[in-house]
Amino acid sequence: MNNLAALSPLLCVVLGALLVLLLEVLFNKENKSYLGYVSLAFLAGGAALCVRSWNKLYSFFNGTLILDNLALFFFLLFSLAGAFIILLSLKYISDQEANHGELYSLLLLALSGMMIMVSSPDLLVIFLGLEVLSVSCYALAGLKRKDEKSAEAALKYFLLGSFASAFLVLGLALLYGAAHSMVISGIIEYFQAGTASKTMGLIGLGLVIVGFAFKIALVPFHMWTPDVYEGAPTPMTAFFSVAPKSAGFAVLLRIFLDFWGASAETEFVFWALWVLSVLTMVVGNLIALRQTNVKRILAYSSIAHAGYMLVAVLAGDQSSLVFYLTAYLFMNVGAFAALIGMSKKGKEYNELEDFAGIGFKYPWIGGTFAVFLISLAGFPPTAGFLAKFYVFSAAVRVGLVPLVVIGVLASLISVFYYLRIVVAMYMREPSPDREVTIDQENPALFLVLFLCLYGVLQLGIFPGNILTIIRMAVSFL
Amino acid sequence: MIPVSYFFGLSLLLFALGIIAFFIKRDLITMFMAVEVMLNAANLAFISLAKASGSLSGQVIVFFIITVAAAEAAIGLAIILLVFRQKKTIKVEEFRLMKG
Repeated sequence: MNNLAALSPLLCVVLGALLVLLLEVLFNKENKSYLGYVSLAFLAGGAALCVRSWNKLYSFFNGTLILDNLALFFFLLFSLAGAFIILLSLKYISDQEANHGELYSLLLLALSGMMIMVSSPDLLVIFLGLEVLSVSCYALAGLKRKDEKSAEAALKYFLLGSFASAFLVLGLALLYGAAHSMVISGIIEYFQAGTASKTMGLIGLGLVIVGFAFKIALVPFHMWTPDVYEGAPTPMTAFFSVAPKSAGFAVLLRIFLDFWGASAETEFVFWALWVLSVLTMVVGNLIALRQTNVKRILAYSSIAHAGYMLVAVLAGDQSSLVFYLTAYLFMNVGAFAALIGMSKKGKEYNELEDFAGIGFKYPWIGGTFAVFLISLAGFPPTAGFLAKFYVFSAAVRVGLVPLVVIGVLASLISVFYYLRIVVAMYMREPSPDREVTIDQENPALFLVLFLCLYGVLQLGIFPGNILTIIRMAVSFL
Repeated sequence: MIPVSYFFGLSLLLFALGIIAFFIKRDLITMFMAVEVMLNAANLAFISLAKASGSLSGQVIVFFIITVAAAEAAIGLAIILLVFRQKKTIKVEEFRLMKG
């Protein structure tokens, strides 16, 4: 059934992006906040169109764009992430010499790329969405044009990202040659059917996994992550650590949904991902231990979290993965929001020593940051605890006990570096030669902090409502 | 007529050469060219596999990938220009501000 309604949320976001570009060129005002509000309005419009399409299963372009409930749920999640990032950028860009209105346009284009990724069953279209996302992200990383670190981040992101894309394209070519199809269901059929050798298809699938592993930063394909996260403007780092990761996992979820146990060959892919998951959890957490820059600590923590999410993919449990992504959105954006709060005009405080005594000096930023860190570490009663609990219990149910043991041990390691920041904030005296004063006149930032705090506690204490919605989303496939 | 498998072999060879060039070359433009070679090698693989299987869709896919490569070239050259303006060099060793 072809229906333009399937295209409407995407169109709304893309139109918003183009309009913001036009407004920027036409008016070219010094204060770019109005562009942020315009983008927020278009995001809200897109979200409203998503809510209207719930349970309708619209499709367009002969089934290459399908709005099932899972896609809609991810649309809403991305819109929320996008709205948070826009709110965080409003003041940041004028304070930190990144005052370019194109930010909002690129952000909306990146969101549209992710929407394309999660709503298509065709690997070519998924690839195109991924490229729309990546190309916008390369530009976003280099937004502080005068800053050498930001330019270096953009450069590294671009070189390694396009290198990974090339692998992805070759993988797609091999899969196409083997399965004569680019649709996920066709590829799964190919792996299930017949006894002919599937070496070419397997190599293709392996290369596709390598490409995606790069984008969602799994060890050993994570080399770019800490540098890019450190150098990019902080709101963009928050975006990179949350949004492309969710989109990548949404795609993995769709590819591997019916895949496990399909044939003897898929066993091989399963163990490859198993190894990646273990490496990501262990290495990500271990390297985070010796970082002294809070932005880098959060970068390695986001690598480690990708490992936990991969456990959910291996367990084949969709609802726990989607819940994890939702919880991760709130706690990670919240943590980065607190980090953005640690700044004043022309100066950002990212080093661990800067955080000494912050908890008492600036109770709101310190207190909320502590809650987000505790949630990332996985303590009850926060969302991070329940998310990990659901993922690990789903894995135990399908018998992945060794993986869960490693995962729990890895998250025990992670407690150390999260708590190190909390200890610095509350139990250490600020050193007299490092004067930290921050500018707290940023209502949008406090709104984001508050909403993320609410999300973390709501998901951690009363997860019932959101779990019902997630179950509706995944059972509708 | 040249068999299709030769084209496929050539595409894999080109791809391997692209990977090698990406790792041994030390200036940004050449590394970027290596990535372009890899992308076009994958395009050649698509075309030869489409020819082998007799379906047309593989040849259409190539146009999409060419477009993506063009978009990447636009943004990539802009970024390389940006870093060149800052440091007056495109040697990759010069970009080591962040470590660890």
